Amino acid sequence: MMNLIAVGINHRTAPLEVREKLWMSDEEIRKAVAELREKFFAECFIVSTCNRTELYGLYREKRDAEIHTPADIDALKDFLVDAKGAGGTVTREHLYSMASTNAVNHLFKVASGIDSMVIGDVQILSQIKDGFNIASEQKAAGPFLHRLLQSTYHVGKRTRSETTIAEGAVSVSYAAVELANKIFSDLTKKSALLIGAGETGELTAKHLVGRGIGELLVANRTKGKAEALVASLGGKAVDFEALLPTLARVDIVVSSVTVDGYLLTKGEIGKAIKERSHKPLFLIDLGVPRNIDPEVNKIENVFLYDLDGIARIIDQNLQKRKSEIPRVSQIILEELTEFSNWHSSLQVSPTIHDLRAHFEQVRQEEVEKNINRFSGEDRELLELVTKRIINKLLHLPTTNLKNGSDESEEEKHRKLHIVRSLFGLQKSKGGPA
Amino acid sequence: MNILVELLRAALPVLYFATVWSYAKAFFRDSVTAKRAKTPLLTSTLVLHLIYLLLRTELFNHPPITTIFEIMSIIAFSIAGAYAFIEFITKVKNTGYFILNLAFIFQTLSSCFIVSLSQVNPVLRSHLLGIHVSSALLGYAAIAISAVYGFLYLMLYHHIKSSQFGVIYEKLPNLETLERMSMMSIVFGFCFLTVAIGVGLFWLPRAFEHFSYFDPKLIGTVFIWAMYGLGIVAKRTVGWQGRKIMVLSIIGFAVALFSLTIINVYFSGFHKFY
Repeated sequence: MMNLIAVGINHRTAPLEVREKLWMSDEEIRKAVAELREKFFAECFIVSTCNRTELYGLYREKRDAEIHTPADIDALKDFLVDAKGAGGTVTREHLYSMASTNAVNHLFKVASGIDSMVIGDVQILSQIKDGFNIASEQKAAGPFLHRLLQSTYHVGKRTRSETTIAEGAVSVSYAAVELANKIFSDLTKKSALLIGAGETGELTAKHLVGRGIGELLVANRTKGKAEALVASLGGKAVDFEALLPTLARVDIVVSSVTVDGYLLTKGEIGKAIKERSHKPLFLIDLGVPRNIDPEVNKIENVFLYDLDGIARIIDQNLQKRKSEIPRVSQIILEELTEFSNWHSSLQVSPTIHDLRAHFEQVRQEEVEKNINRFSGEDRELLELVTKRIINKLLHLPTTNLKNGSDESEEEKHRKLHIVRSLFGLQKSKGGPA
Repeated sequence: MNILVELLRAALPVLYFATVWSYAKAFFRDSVTAKRAKTPLLTSTLVLHLIYLLLRTELFNHPPITTIFEIMSIIAFSIAGAYAFIEFITKVKNTGYFILNLAFIFQTLSSCFIVSLSQVNPVLRSHLLGIHVSSALLGYAAIAISAVYGFLYLMLYHHIKSSQFGVIYEKLPNLETLERMSMMSIVFGFCFLTVAIGVGLFWLPRAFEHFSYFDPKLIGTVFIWAMYGLGIVAKRTVGWQGRKIMVLSIIGFAVALFSLTIINVYFSGFHKFY
């Protein structure tokens, strides 16, 4: 049974105002990891995002999962709360704990994105990587964590390449850009106009720039704001009063201003589409109340989407992502089995078994190659002598491996890991299948 | 050789069916195996189809253009070949199901009803006729493909306009790409029809003593040619875009179908051989 424990808080166990109290910056993680290593663990790391803060640790002394006492778990929960001084807001009940294979299973679920607030979140894998890098810097990542993180990345990569869990936009800004890609073949040859400087509009413009939009124009009542946005995103600020003439020369319009009545009417868009020789025009209305007359959608080659329209595409994408969960769970199960096999192979007996099997294989191959050089009666002797050599060679390493019961888990793992690597015993032959 | 021709005649509908099936599985079910198999399957089918057409030419001593069912086999080959070419050029591989269905239907009809004629009208053995018919059929195949892309464009256009995000929205390429593929097919179709009409106008008056410029099939083809020509000019000059040009491609194909079927069957003229 592996000696791993996980303690954490996430969107399922605590509301934002509680879990934000445990959010840790890189510097805070560094400090906490150093302290955890000193007080509890041989190896450990922390993942902290806006939706979760979790610590994973491998105890220094040998323990079984069954004997992670409530006091052990409470000590770790208290550690997290105290590290952030969040005692008034965060209680032990907000935090959960998992041990052994359950902890590994949980980490794999997190990495795959099925435990995220938005299913299929792609950022979580890099956030786990960041946490692991800090642990490496602090020398808190040994052979166990290296292998655990390697398997975790593998889960993350497989879920993204073998399933569609991360496909389809699930935010307003991404969904708007995805729609633009369904109309236009090459955004680098298109231009976009952002009207207003609302947060979602700005994010949409940012994604358009990220996809290489040919030209970005920004119009805002306060020209200073437009210029500030252009300074950070690139592009050009245009006069709010010159909005209508600008419409004819852009392919995408993102509007998010607060106005009474419609900012763009059917007549104005109709005129613009004629001026642009009926080339497709994609309008994204993020305003509440709406900025663009819905009748505009009746004009040929004009595509209008408001917040409700975009919400429909997001809902559908989320449903599709949910339907991929069984396939992701299968990947997690496969990786969990492989990881457990590897861990079992790090136990003393399977390693000794594999080591002896490896030497025996080499002995048999050499004897077979040279058997014809020996007379019939010498052949029996050859078998005997070579076996005796192997036994003598392996006697001391075997004894040393068996006598390591007083060593810490960390040292034992390191030793077994080295033996397996040196002799190429990567897959356990003696461990469980 | 006869056995081989018969074998290929029976195998081709099966091969086209398998190709259409793999394109359908790749499009609707996202099957990884189908995605890998579909293009090699299409290429193999095309190679075997070409061998079949060459063997028939050799065996019966005339190009396979003497009966309506021989023509259908050439149409199937032209559609599948033109699609393979467009797929190769554009690298857009998920529209094959919609196009190759046509090839499958034409080849199945051809394989079921084709007869082997050794004695044919001597005029049908001319090389110029070969060029005339081949380019006309390639032109019509391109027009058919353009109409399918036009139809797909209109479907996707409607889905985007009405916020429907099903399999059509998800799997088809974007509107501009569909429009480009349709336009590319229109231009190919127009060029091949130009060759067919040019060769026809040069050769037909010499080959037929009853040649007439008022032949219904000739008028029909010239009308279709002019229609697509005007469409290309309108796109370049007046700036016809998107939906309008796609509707034109579908109407053009409907007229072409009318010309190939109704005129060919019900109107008489020197230009009718079967």
